[in-house]
Amino acid sequence: MTRDNVLPLLTARGLGLRLDGRWLFRNLDFSLLPHEFLALTGPSGVGKSSLLSCLAGTREPTEGEIVRNFPTDKGIGIVFQDLLLADGASVLTNTLCGRLNRYGFARTLWGFPEQDRTDAFNTLQELGIAELAHKWAAETSRGEQQRVAIARALLQEPALFLADEPVASLDFARADAALNIFQREAREHGRPVFAALHDPRQVGQFADRELKLSANCPEDWTLQSVSRHAL
Amino acid sequence: MPSDPREDLVPWYNRLNVVNLTFLVFLLAVFLSLPAMEGSGRELNYWENITRFGSKFFPPDLSILERTLASLWETFQIAACSTFFAIGLSLLISLGAAQNLAPKWLVIMTRMLLNMIRTIPSLLWALLAVVIVGSNSLAGVIALTFYSIGYLGKFYSEAFEAADVRVRSALRDMGASRMQAFQYGLWPNVKPLIWSHSLWMLEYNVRSASIIGYVGAGGIGLHLKLYADSPNSWDKFSTVLLCILFIVTLLDFLGERIRKRIKQRLAGQNA
Repeated sequence: MTRDNVLPLLTARGLGLRLDGRWLFRNLDFSLLPHEFLALTGPSGVGKSSLLSCLAGTREPTEGEIVRNFPTDKGIGIVFQDLLLADGASVLTNTLCGRLNRYGFARTLWGFPEQDRTDAFNTLQELGIAELAHKWAAETSRGEQQRVAIARALLQEPALFLADEPVASLDFARADAALNIFQREAREHGRPVFAALHDPRQVGQFADRELKLSANCPEDWTLQSVSRHAL
Repeated sequence: MPSDPREDLVPWYNRLNVVNLTFLVFLLAVFLSLPAMEGSGRELNYWENITRFGSKFFPPDLSILERTLASLWETFQIAACSTFFAIGLSLLISLGAAQNLAPKWLVIMTRMLLNMIRTIPSLLWALLAVVIVGSNSLAGVIALTFYSIGYLGKFYSEAFEAADVRVRSALRDMGASRMQAFQYGLWPNVKPLIWSHSLWMLEYNVRSASIIGYVGAGGIGLHLKLYADSPNSWDKFSTVLLCILFIVTLLDFLGERIRKRIKQRLAGQNA
C-alpha cells in the first residue's frame, strides 16, 4: 500500500483538549488514511472517548483543528461506548437507523425500503444475531447489544468508522469476528477504522497503526506502525 | 481515643425527615378534622338502616340483564373512543409540556392548561358536553376526552422527560434529521410507557363512563339513575353494579398483565 500519495480522510493538527482544568492530550497530529485500521490505546480515563467525540464533531477541541476530507452526506459511522440504542425498538429497526441519513423523514416514516431491510438482515447475520432481529434491544444481552451497535454503524456504509471500545463486551471469538469485519471494511472498501481498543492482542492482530495516549503527560502520545512479528 | 457518639450530642431536630414530619402534620390535620365525624345528632339506628337498605339489593334482578349488557357495551364504546382521541391530543400537548423538548415558556403554559383541565371532574365535563351536544353518548365521548387529556398529557410529558435523550443525539450525529431522530431515537424508548399509561386510562375511562350517564352523557350511568330514582328498583340497580364490577375487574386484570409484560420486556436481560 502506498500511503504517501493517498489523501487522508481525517487529519488532526495540533489537537488539544482540556477538561476540568486538566489537559487530556495536546499537540496531537495524526491522520486517518483510507484502507487503514488505526487503534487508539492508553489506560482508562486518559481521554480516548473524548478524542473520539472531538473527531465525531460532538465535542469542541480546546485547541488545534480537525480537517475532514470526505463527502458530508456519507458521514461517520460511530460505535458509542454506551451503545446508545433505542431500547423499545427492535434489533432490526436499531440496525436500520444506520441508513436514516440516506432518506428524508417522509420516506422512513412508515419503515425502510426492502433493500435496506435485506442489507440489515445480512449484516445481523454476519454478526450472528439475525435470529434476534425482532426482539427489542432491551431484551438482548449486553454483548448482543454491542453487536447491534456495530451493525448499525456498518449498515451506514460511512466514509469512516469511529469506534469506542466496540468489542469490550464480546468474547474472544466474537470480538475477533467483529474486528475482522472492520478490517475488511477498511481494506476492501476504503472505510478506515479508528477504534479505541484495550486488548494488545487485538491491536497486534487487526490494527495497522497504533495511537497511544499517555496518562502522565498530555503531549507524550505516540503513533507507530504495528509490527506483526509478534503473531 | 474517640468518644462514643452520644445521642444528646446530636440536635433533636436532626431526626426529622420528610416522612415523619409530614406524618406528624397529617396526624394534626386529622385531629383538627374530628368535628366532621359528629353526624346529625339524631338518634338513628345505623345498623338497621344499612341492613334494611342493603337487603333491597338482593337478589339482583337479572331480567334486565340483556339491556344492561347493551348499555355496558355503549359504555365501553364511549371509553374506547374518548381514550383514542385523548391519546392523539395528549401526545401533541405533552410535547409542549416536556422540559427536555419544549422551551420553558411553552412548558409553563401547557402545564397550566393541563392543571386547569384536571381541576374539572369528569361529571362536570359531562354536564358541559350535554349542554353543548345534547344528551347522548357523543357527550360522553367529548367529556371523557377532555378529562383524559388532563391526565395523559401529564403522564406522557413525564414519560418524555424520563427518556434517554442521548439516543436521539446519537442518531443526529449519525446524520438523521430532527424528526427522524425523534421517531427512531426517542419515541421507541417512550412508546412502551405511553402505551402502559394509555391502557390505564382506558380502564379508568370505563369506570368514568359508567357514571357520566347519570347526567345524561350516555352509557350505563343512565340506568343507574333510572333505577335509583324509581321506587323499589334496588335489585335492578344491583344488577347494573354487578355488570360494571365485571367489566372493570376484567379490564383491570388484563391491563395489569399487559403492563407487567411491558415492564418485563423493557427491563430485559439488563435488569
